Amino acid sequence: MRNSLVFYVNGDRHEVRGEAAGRTLSDYLRGGCGSPTAERLVGTKIACAEGDCGACTVLVGKTAPSGDRLDYQTIDACIAFIYQLDRRHVVTVEGLQEDSRLAPAQQAMVDCHGSQCGFCTPGFVMALQGLVEESDDRGPLADETLRLGLSGNLCRCTGYSQILDAGKRLDPARVDSVAKQYDPAPMLADFAALGDGPVRVNPRDTHQLNGHATAAPPVEVFLPSTLPELVEFRADNPDAKLVSGATDVGVQFNHGKLAPVAVISTTGVAELQHLEVVDEELVIGAAVPWSRVEAFAKHELPAYHAILTRFGSPQVRHAGTLVGNLANASPIADSIPFHYVAGSTLELASVGGRRDVPIEDFYLGYKQLDLRPDEVIIAVRTPLPAENVQLRLYKVSKRRDMDISTVTTAFWLELEGDLCAGARLAAGGVGPTVVRLPRAEEALIGRPLTLEAMRVAGRIAREEITPISDVRGGADYRLQLVENLFAKCWHEVRGNGILTGSSG
Amino acid sequence: MASVGQSLPHDSATGHVTGAARYIDDLPRLDRELYVDFAGSPVAAGRIRSIDLTAARAVPGVVCLLTYDHLGGPNHFGPIIPDEAFLAEEEVVYVGQPIVVIAAETPAAALRARQLIVVDIEERKPVLSIDDALAAKSFIGPERRMMTPGAESDADFEAAFRSAPHTLAGRFVSGGQEQFYFETQAALSIPGEGGDVRVISSTQNTTETQAVVAEALGLGMHQVVCECQRMGGGFGGKETQSAIPAVMTALVVKQTGRPARLVLRRGDDMRITGKRHPYQTDYRVAFAADGRLIAAQMAYYSNGGAFADLSTSVMERTMLHADNAYHVPMLRVTGQVCRTNLPPNTAFRGFGGPQGVAVIESLLEDIAQVVGRDPFDVRRLNLYRDGDPARSVTHYGQIVRDHVLDETFDRLAASSNYRHRVNAVTEFNTTSITHVRGIALTAIKFGISFTTKFLNQANALVNVYTDGTVQVSTGGTEMGQGLYTKIQQLVADEFGLPPSRVRMMATSTEKSNNTSPTAASAGTDLNGAAALVACGQIIERMRDYAAGLFASTERGLVAAPEHVVIDDGAVWDDRDPSHRIEFGEFCAMARRERVDLGARGFYATPGVDYNRETGCGNPFFYYTTGAAIAEVTIDRFTGELTFDRADVLMDIGRSINPGVDRGQVIGGFIQGVGWVTNEELRYNDAGHLLSTGPTTYKIPNVTDLPRVLNVDFIDNPKHQKNVRQSKAVGEPPLMLGICAWMAAKNALQSLAGDKRVELAIPATGEELLTRMTALVGQAVPDAVGTSQISGRR
Ligand SMILES: Cc1cc2nc3c(=O)[nH]c(=O)nc-3n(C[C@H](O)[C@H](O)[C@H](O)COP(=O)(O)OP(=O)(O)OC[C@H]3O[C@@H](n4cnc5c(N)ncnc54)[C@H](O)[C@@H]3O)c2cc1C
Ligand code: FES
Ligand code: FES
Repeated sequence: MRNSLVFYVNGDRHEVRGEAAGRTLSDYLRGGCGSPTAERLVGTKIACAEGDCGACTVLVGKTAPSGDRLDYQTIDACIAFIYQLDRRHVVTVEGLQEDSRLAPAQQAMVDCHGSQCGFCTPGFVMALQGLVEESDDRGPLADETLRLGLSGNLCRCTGYSQILDAGKRLDPARVDSVAKQYDPAPMLADFAALGDGPVRVNPRDTHQLNGHATAAPPVEVFLPSTLPELVEFRADNPDAKLVSGATDVGVQFNHGKLAPVAVISTTGVAELQHLEVVDEELVIGAAVPWSRVEAFAKHELPAYHAILTRFGSPQVRHAGTLVGNLANASPIADSIPFHYVAGSTLELASVGGRRDVPIEDFYLGYKQLDLRPDEVIIAVRTPLPAENVQLRLYKVSKRRDMDISTVTTAFWLELEGDLCAGARLAAGGVGPTVVRLPRAEEALIGRPLTLEAMRVAGRIAREEITPISDVRGGADYRLQLVENLFAKCWHEVRGNGILTGSSG
Repeated sequence: MASVGQSLPHDSATGHVTGAARYIDDLPRLDRELYVDFAGSPVAAGRIRSIDLTAARAVPGVVCLLTYDHLGGPNHFGPIIPDEAFLAEEEVVYVGQPIVVIAAETPAAALRARQLIVVDIEERKPVLSIDDALAAKSFIGPERRMMTPGAESDADFEAAFRSAPHTLAGRFVSGGQEQFYFETQAALSIPGEGGDVRVISSTQNTTETQAVVAEALGLGMHQVVCECQRMGGGFGGKETQSAIPAVMTALVVKQTGRPARLVLRRGDDMRITGKRHPYQTDYRVAFAADGRLIAAQMAYYSNGGAFADLSTSVMERTMLHADNAYHVPMLRVTGQVCRTNLPPNTAFRGFGGPQGVAVIESLLEDIAQVVGRDPFDVRRLNLYRDGDPARSVTHYGQIVRDHVLDETFDRLAASSNYRHRVNAVTEFNTTSITHVRGIALTAIKFGISFTTKFLNQANALVNVYTDGTVQVSTGGTEMGQGLYTKIQQLVADEFGLPPSRVRMMATSTEKSNNTSPTAASAGTDLNGAAALVACGQIIERMRDYAAGLFASTERGLVAAPEHVVIDDGAVWDDRDPSHRIEFGEFCAMARRERVDLGARGFYATPGVDYNRETGCGNPFFYYTTGAAIAEVTIDRFTGELTFDRADVLMDIGRSINPGVDRGQVIGGFIQGVGWVTNEELRYNDAGHLLSTGPTTYKIPNVTDLPRVLNVDFIDNPKHQKNVRQSKAVGEPPLMLGICAWMAAKNALQSLAGDKRVELAIPATGEELLTRMTALVGQAVPDAVGTSQISGRR
């Protein structure tokens, strides 16, 4: 079994084991890539270390499904770990320039006064390049594409306008992909030669034998490549932390709330990559990043898609997963209310076999899961709404984008004419777990769906929840929101109040 | 070609986009460098019983743990009132207040030590809010007063209120704001010889940093150098509080003789450093039937935090902006800073101005509602009128002159299609039951200069080399605002050189002594002017020397310095333009003839004079003015606000760099929008800040920008002052961001009928929904036409 991690940084091969394997990517880059003589790649900035500003944005290339190229996407280096980068190519802002000529994204930022203090700038440059990499048609970047595409990068100085100007000045048709600068062929060949097998780095036993016990031993890393390997690692290492996109794990690590002795990274497990509709059910594999779900949902599940465009940031969606969101079990996780009302099922696996758990049974209390230490979630199955279902999902947060919700709600209303034949409702941010609102549902089922009926149900829902006041909002506000969202839902079902643009 | 007036890129733009521009944390690690951390108070108020460092000291890699008794000088700091203990002694007065400085070989060891330090504290109930402080009579400095000459008599003042057709009274509340500079507070201190220390600091204030470090270590100022190449943002937050990491690291240097660096974690930075002051203002105002102001009284209370810092000065600027752009015939203002158990609040772009401006702007909106006129018309009616002696004197006695406020209003109304859009908004509000819209204009008249007279000075060093290149350093620091770029342009033009031949050097106390902070928007005004003075001296010497060179009896030219032209990279006599000497060659020749090609320039702003005791005088050299119109849409179910459109128009004089200035205007504007919308500092009852990072503290995102954003500048031929007739631009646009809040208020007013709309800053979704719910019972009507709201219209 391979016992080191192999990846490339700006075209250079890095082979890593030991302490560096467990570092965040930004630490690794800024600290000299584990070598005292290497250049410290300090262009990747740290302004928050919690994934919430984008100053540390880098591009990561991974082998495309076709196997013949690398596809590049942005991630936040401050919450990505080296062990997640096996057989990837990292491009930092230092790697964008060719022969000391500014790359087009860099030049556009200079020309448009896109930088002031400059601290956020490398992140924006990488995000702009990322938009070019992801652009299908290589047409000019539309205002909306730019705004959403850059919403994972904050800037305190510029007010963004001149950064948007820079984005508009970029002509993707004339911007080279980083794949042109860094020939993928040798990297792909190297990755192929390394093979698809599992990787195990820093095995604990050898370290103990080597007498490393005084200093904290480096984190042991498992990279299973198949489901059997995954469940076996899991069974043998109940103390290992499962890691998917690390967008929760990375933040907890940086805040000192998590220091695992061992990790199992699921990203490379082939069986967890499924994203498909099977028998009217959407199946989302545990390792499928949000960005894939988002693209898929655009046509299949527009209501879900709308929520996902506001889930975290593009960088977070390139890494984070549904299963991570569900397993992290935050009461304000944006995906959970939808999966409650849709009646999703979690597929769990262990060496002993598989079992299905309906999502509502999965949560036993605040961050308490029906998940044994030897089990992993491998997929989530979700029935798709029938024609007569009105699905409405709401995320209310202080700031529109890149914000955690104050309150989330999901409405799944089965209509027969004017009659509400079925209703499944859920709310998050109103208690220790996401909850269904059974009494409000009851008040709706079998009655005509009128505004008054929704108002009554909203008032009932208010009685069913016990929100607290915290940094994101007061309890009264949350109560009022939940009540009001019933009326809002009714108006939207009726096609009222869906605004497009301003009067100006 | 002259470079002043050109939109040159920022002088570090290439460094920014390639990642090559270095900030403190990016500088190479030095030999034997130590990591610095600190342990702070776990409570907001209390008395330290004991500090147990035993366990922390035992952590491998920990080099030293320092408390206040390691300071070499007195433990009393503060730019205005020295009331601040740098490291807590017996009392702790805010959460996170530094108690122990830690130095270690690795960040992990430092952090471990921090966790193991045990401070035993007898906790006291903290004073947190302004109301708490008022109840406890916990104040910083005396109450300050200012009033219009003519409003001194209580009898007259009260009579004005009694006889006025209308009066309003109430309380206005605005919250604090975190600077959220991207680069956190940071410093690297390096030992020199003989106990000297070099401090590389992310600071707006090199001189203050030098002075504070010298004091804390018991050194002479001549033993400390403070240097700053650039900051990753400052916004006022690094005017005084950049001293925290500077002193901590310098202390470690003194103790260990090793270099030491501290870059604050975001959470620590947000927890322990000061912010914009929360305010509470009790006001009353009297006005005529047409909305014309007659008299007003404002009592401002600010939450100063635990120590004075700049709070009294901030309050002064609030009071000086009580009028904003409007003439108030009788105005009385008082200001009192409250002492509380929060970190000492400090400078933030606008420096008290926003808190003053917001109040009167909000009042004008209310007045318009009472008299039934469009708020635009009421504002325009009350503007200062240039040249009208009855309507151009402020409450502190300065004449507001040479401005284009009327023209700004009129042009903005036309360019934004204001009247039409007001109708469209009204129309929308009568038909929409799910959303409500508002539109509003607010203005700014911002006084430029430090209100503390002596700070209005600067010096600069200009060195011309024998290849014709130039280095410039001034006391002004670069935090992204483009100061270096503008000075580079000014100097390049003086010597007729392309800007690429002028290089801005890191700001250092070695080159510029006794400097003022880069603040009050006056960075370019002061330092640019000083650089020009230095250039002028060199040019005079060059002309004298060149005059002799070009004098020629053959051609009948007598030596005449006034005929010497230095331009286009060359030097010549305008009577004989064919005989040119390339500038570099000329400089080399001049040196050989022992001409001094370096100079130090000094500048002091003329005419500013203000008496703090009487509250009268001319604190400002001139005013930067402007106005903005915002339109917003609010979701009536959730309070979510969408910023539809903004039109901004400003008089910034003749811009030295329109690209940079545009960036300042938009950046400041959006920062102001952040203050009034979503930037909310939440504390728990024990005084712990809950919003300690971007996850919970929401500065504007790109998607919060108005869909349509028009920014333009208005010519003002009357403005003939200041360096190249430019105007300061850093702070004023921030206050135009208030227009977004005003538009929200305007929207709520359309739901309120005759009721007054109470709305605090920031108008978060929670604030908006709560107010809407209170206004109309249930926030949302059942259907068009049947609702109580539309029924009332
Ligand atoms: C800037 C930022 C913004 C964010 N915004 C949002 C938002 O808008 N809405 C929202 O809901 N969340 C948000 N999040 C949280 C986070 O991105 C999501 O919860 C994400 O879906 C987590 O997925 P992940 O793959 O990164 O999980 P990880 O961090 O890898 O893991 C999360 C948890 O799941 C467990 N886990 C992972 N895989 C498995 C498995 N196969 N079986 C069992 N357990 C497993 C891990 O052990 C861990 O406890 C945000 C995070 C950041 C940093
Ligand atoms: S540093 Fe802020 S997202 Fe990584
Ligand atoms: S340029 Fe300073 S944060 Fe963006």
